Amino acid sequence: MKNLKPITSVVLATLLLGLIPFVSDSEKSYLVYFLFLTFCHIVLTQGWNLVAGYTGQVSLGTHAFFALGAYTTAMIWRADLFSWENYYFDPVTMILSGLVPVIFALAIGIPLLSKLHGDYFALGTLGFGEILKVVCIKGGQFTGGPIGIMLPSSVYTTMRPHYWTALFLAFLATGVVYFMTKSRVGLALVAISEDETAASSSGIYILKYKVLAFAISAFLSGLCGSLYAYYLFQVSPEGFLILRWTLYPVLMCVIGGSGTVVGPILGSLLMTAVFTVTSIYLPGIHPIFSGIIIILVMLFMPNGIIRLWKKGV
Amino acid sequence: MSHSDTLLRVDKISISFGGLAVLTDVNLKVDEGELVGLIGPNGAGKSTLFNVISSIYKPDTGDVFLKGKKITGIAPHKLCRMGISRTYQLVKTFNKMTALENVMVGAIYGHKHGGSDAKTRAIDAMSLVGIEDKQNILVSHLTLSDRRLVEVARSLASSPLVTLLDEPMAGLNVSEIKTLLTVIKRAREERKISILWVEHKVDAIFRTCDRVAVLNYGAKIADGKPEEIAKDSKVIEAYLGESLTRN
Repeated sequence: MKNLKPITSVVLATLLLGLIPFVSDSEKSYLVYFLFLTFCHIVLTQGWNLVAGYTGQVSLGTHAFFALGAYTTAMIWRADLFSWENYYFDPVTMILSGLVPVIFALAIGIPLLSKLHGDYFALGTLGFGEILKVVCIKGGQFTGGPIGIMLPSSVYTTMRPHYWTALFLAFLATGVVYFMTKSRVGLALVAISEDETAASSSGIYILKYKVLAFAISAFLSGLCGSLYAYYLFQVSPEGFLILRWTLYPVLMCVIGGSGTVVGPILGSLLMTAVFTVTSIYLPGIHPIFSGIIIILVMLFMPNGIIRLWKKGV
Repeated sequence: MSHSDTLLRVDKISISFGGLAVLTDVNLKVDEGELVGLIGPNGAGKSTLFNVISSIYKPDTGDVFLKGKKITGIAPHKLCRMGISRTYQLVKTFNKMTALENVMVGAIYGHKHGGSDAKTRAIDAMSLVGIEDKQNILVSHLTLSDRRLVEVARSLASSPLVTLLDEPMAGLNVSEIKTLLTVIKRAREERKISILWVEHKVDAIFRTCDRVAVLNYGAKIADGKPEEIAKDSKVIEAYLGESLTRN
């Protein structure tokens, strides 16, 4: 019974949040956009949380998988791959945009995770992002170069599908992390993050679980990238292959409390609010204030906000 | 107890790190159900030998056999499922987990048939070492002695054929040592497993083990019944002339 309570409250919260576009005008109100952005951050943050918070492998490649998802969506649409009438919020396109990053995650994850540990793995994933950026800028017709791929924005009518899809993805990402970490797989992931030698001599195939976490994280990031492509209608290196999409999730996860299910949600909500409010009221100097808040949180709550009332989790 | 079948055999193991020979031509065997003590002064290569057996290091020459099957270089997680479990000199528990979760890791992932009855096996192992009342305590809140017991329970939960204990008594006080000795004896009697046990507490080894092997400067200098080893002049010399049976 005690395990049902968090699930029920998350489902209820999701349903309630789903009603917001009916109450608040999705085109004029800032709230819908703000929550859309928050949900996107939750998806990316939960993905990073699974790899770094639970498994202990600090990845700096979130933006690369995010961009791969966006580019996949844009390319499928541009090439009219299935000869369909509509690629806008097409589930097949979106799922493929999650799977392409998974293929890349397997291809780079297996060599990187079997050879590199700690900082070196982080640098390896960062390198992957940089390589991808150069490939996209120099990719000519295929990637659209520095301008990227333009999508037909005439299909845009309302912000509502974006909002609901983002809400659904945030719910999905949180659910995936919750069920994975409560299961036996979660035991293996935490064991790996605590002590690889002991985990391996207790029978855990370390590489398999590291790659699994990395691939699931890539899948979530790819889905989010696809959604964001439907929002921007321009998939370019400047919009997607920027470190913002890696650093924000890292920051939000750490501030909220990494290695917990709720921490990333809190962190995403708080930091999206901080970034939004400071950029509206303190234009030009807002990074200073955002920076001060980050320093204060890390100084007084080094394990994240969540651990204020969940000590020792 | 019959010591007819060799379970674990270490054959002419040599390994060196950067030109420094740590083990040279070491042979050792553990029979089924046997409790073998491995002693030797600091730096004799005891832990290195353990790391070779559990495949953390790959030997330069020589091989390790389990039930006659060559297992040199097999990945550590596979070795655990084949029946070799171990503990570490510096306790390696998963401190963010509860005691039960720690033992569950061994029960689920270390067992060759996976985790169908994992929880039963985990709780059995915890009762055997006497920490079943500490199941839901975070390991970071346990004492060193209890963490050692968690580690032993984790290794037993994988239902091993042979367990390697790497200085399980280091840092424990007299009463904790007594507890651990009882645990080792019980594990052996109830589970019929073989144990290879590295220890600095030489008197404990002599009183408990069926057989004792002595390493010095990376070579095995003696191997036999405890009472023979205690009289062996090379062993006494290795321990700086100190008598091993002073009490």
